[in-house]
Amino acid sequence: MEAELAARIVGGLKEAGISFVSYLPETRLSEIVPLFREDPSFMVVPVANESEAISISAGASLGGRPAAVYMEGSGVYVGSYNLLVLGKRLGVPMLLIVAYYGSVLDTRNSFLYAMPGIHLIPILKSLDIQHEVFENGASLETKIKGAVKMMHAIKQPVALLFTGEFTI
Amino acid sequence: MNRYDCFEFLVPSMTDQLVVGSLSGQRVEWGHLSGHPGNLLVASMGAALGIGIGLALVLPHRKVIVLESDGSLLLSLYNLPTLGNLNPSNLAVFVFDNEVYSGTRISEPSATAGKTDLASVARSCGVERAITVRDLESFKQEATKALQENVLRFVVCKVDKTTGHRQIQRPTEDLWEHKYRFVRYLEKTEGKQIFMGRG
Repeated sequence: MEAELAARIVGGLKEAGISFVSYLPETRLSEIVPLFREDPSFMVVPVANESEAISISAGASLGGRPAAVYMEGSGVYVGSYNLLVLGKRLGVPMLLIVAYYGSVLDTRNSFLYAMPGIHLIPILKSLDIQHEVFENGASLETKIKGAVKMMHAIKQPVALLFTGEFTI
Repeated sequence: MNRYDCFEFLVPSMTDQLVVGSLSGQRVEWGHLSGHPGNLLVASMGAALGIGIGLALVLPHRKVIVLESDGSLLLSLYNLPTLGNLNPSNLAVFVFDNEVYSGTRISEPSATAGKTDLASVARSCGVERAITVRDLESFKQEATKALQENVLRFVVCKVDKTTGHRQIQRPTEDLWEHKYRFVRYLEKTEGKQIFMGRG
């Protein structure tokens, strides 16, 4: 991902009010991690498992810091139980920043990634999690702001899926 | 040692602490003894400790107490390395370990009935003050320290296999109602808006 896009993602999240990020690092969007760390307005928490990231961000969100979870698409599978019981059943707002690996526009797609990529949106739909796919930087900040507004409005997770130019 | 007796000791000490609880009998018993709005009883296995870590990090001036069980912690052992590395000083974790999945009604043994020592696991993950207590007096001593001191404590409480919670009437407050009560309490005591948006 170009440095400018990484900066725009992080800037957009900050502008939208996100101030807490838990994450398990992955390849495609990894340039955003140092940017989070450099900006003191973000509290940044590395974890060992995306389920854990979801529960920690849920605590942060209920404690008053608008929270995000950054993960690879595989994290949606790993974290789906906590997405269901914390995100949906308890109703905790959080933003999911997801590297949409294995999607048609994933420039690194291969037999390793395609199958989980194909099933990612069906999984989100089955959980009734609102999601937005980003293929390029068009209206990036506007869409991030809208997604954060949505998560606050419905008090549930909202997912941003990044593919295309974000996976170069 | 009986979990309910431990709760009866803890509840009168609750003032402005935040209490995050797990599932099963402990949720019913704690909810029966304490109607404090600082309770967040999430009714889910494997989530209470993570939520407690998040709350402790963003509210470092508040004492956060997590009530876990052996089954719930075994489901989310991934929390322990994170807990050890972050070391939130305002967090106290009590793991009520009855060595069974009592909610199953067949009391299937959990791993702690065998060779697994949760306090040892926590210590090896970097949680320095992780101990096991086996009687009520020891629990009272450790609980008092955990409530008074600003240092991460992780107390595994070996408790009896009890079914007393099945005699307690279940709460009718649903989880969204429970969450709103908790968040409105925090908004009031922290003096800030938590749930954003306007009508």
